[in-house]
Amino acid sequence: MPAATKARASGAEDADMEDVTPPSAQQPVDSQEDGDPMQEDEEDDDLGEEEESEEPQRVRILPGSTSTAASFEFLKEGHTLGNALRYIIMKNPDVEFCAYAIPHPSEEKMNLRIQTYDTTTATAALEKGLQDLEDLCDVVSEEFWTQRNDFMAGKH
Amino acid sequence: MEYDTMMMDGESLGPSVKISAADNTHVDFELSNVDLSFANSLRRVIQAEVPTIAIDLVEIEVNTSVLADEFIAHRLGLIPLDSREIDQLNYTRDCDCDQSCGKCTVTLTLHAKCSSEEVMKVYARDLIVGIDRPNNHIGNPVITDPEGQGSLIAKLRKGQELKITCIAKKGIAKEHAKWSPTSAVGFEYDPHNKLHHLDLWYETDAATEWPKSKYAEWEEPPAEGEPFDYDAVPSRFYFEVESVGNIEPDAIIQEGIKELQRKLAGLIHGLGENDDMNGDYDGPRSPDGMDGATPWQDQGYTTPYAGAGNASAWGGAATAYGTTPYGNSGTAGW
Repeated sequence: MPAATKARASGAEDADMEDVTPPSAQQPVDSQEDGDPMQEDEEDDDLGEEEESEEPQRVRILPGSTSTAASFEFLKEGHTLGNALRYIIMKNPDVEFCAYAIPHPSEEKMNLRIQTYDTTTATAALEKGLQDLEDLCDVVSEEFWTQRNDFMAGKH
Repeated sequence: MEYDTMMMDGESLGPSVKISAADNTHVDFELSNVDLSFANSLRRVIQAEVPTIAIDLVEIEVNTSVLADEFIAHRLGLIPLDSREIDQLNYTRDCDCDQSCGKCTVTLTLHAKCSSEEVMKVYARDLIVGIDRPNNHIGNPVITDPEGQGSLIAKLRKGQELKITCIAKKGIAKEHAKWSPTSAVGFEYDPHNKLHHLDLWYETDAATEWPKSKYAEWEEPPAEGEPFDYDAVPSRFYFEVESVGNIEPDAIIQEGIKELQRKLAGLIHGLGENDDMNGDYDGPRSPDGMDGATPWQDQGYTTPYAGAGNASAWGGAATAYGTTPYGNSGTAGW
């Protein structure tokens, strides 16, 4: 035990470091893992993949996020999606806070912050928001079409 | 967990649409029981993201008119082309072909030469549409005037000639306004300004100096001395969509909603598929504390494995590492 403490204190010496550090690596990963569907597997080829794939990844989680409080960065999205999505996510009773921002007008980026209660995760809330908005679109689309048909029928 | 998005906030009815006027260039309707953010998304998407087809590449073989090549090219780009059933056309960037083909482009040619003393007018109807296209109406110049001439492209005097090949492509107005399906979208709510979203300028009295919107009579005016309701949110939105002629106005709305859904579906798909990728991305850039720790750990982790001599120098530690279960020694260390 004292040896370990000393090693840590003495700093850069390798042998002991090795003994001490692995658990420290584990812990943060563990804490992130619970309930985080987007957990990290150590694959750095991700970046490489992105270059190869035709469409770069559109959404990513910004650093500093936890499972119930996360910031997402959307590429090539703006107020069109941001505001409507913010609204629909905020409607979710499991969500404590949701807001969006466009950090700079000449960058095609949209940031979305979601903080949830313990009942769900930020990622789940985002997915639910996207799904809900799509359902809302369906409803409005259908409503518009029935009204249009009624209107046309009444006209002729 | 389960909740009905539309049943909240006392919205018992869900979104509703009331059409007040419609013809082949306009549709006026009221969208109610939705949020301002959604109504605005719909407006934005129909103005900027509904795909249409427009001339994008112009090859000028002969231009002896008084107009510069690029001037004519610009005018050609702005001519509305029939964009119904645009889904049958690919974006050129997504198409399998090398440069352009019948699946992603429509070719229009124009050849006009003035041989008379009178000034000759070249109209959109003079564009000849190539046959290699997904259906027989897409890419036709939109002609709505009673003479059936379409937009005026140029005027030629005797001896002047135009010989042009145009390639029309699918695109959206976010890239260039020539791809806009709408010439204007009216968007209005709260005609009595009850919500105070507007701060009206006035000399003596705003109510008499500002003309009332035609939708003012659709809604209850504020009662005399009514206190400001700071919880109120807009719920009735008046749209006036005016088509350029390339898509019917009602189809623009449908396409707009579809486009919005396509956006969402793309994200849902990306999110599902890239779950791990997201994590990976997050990994290298995770919170500050971890960033520093990672390389440091790795070094410590690898060195002792490689060099046994190093480990033995530390005596006790090395022994512990060798004998104690890995996890155990770790916990002890902490």
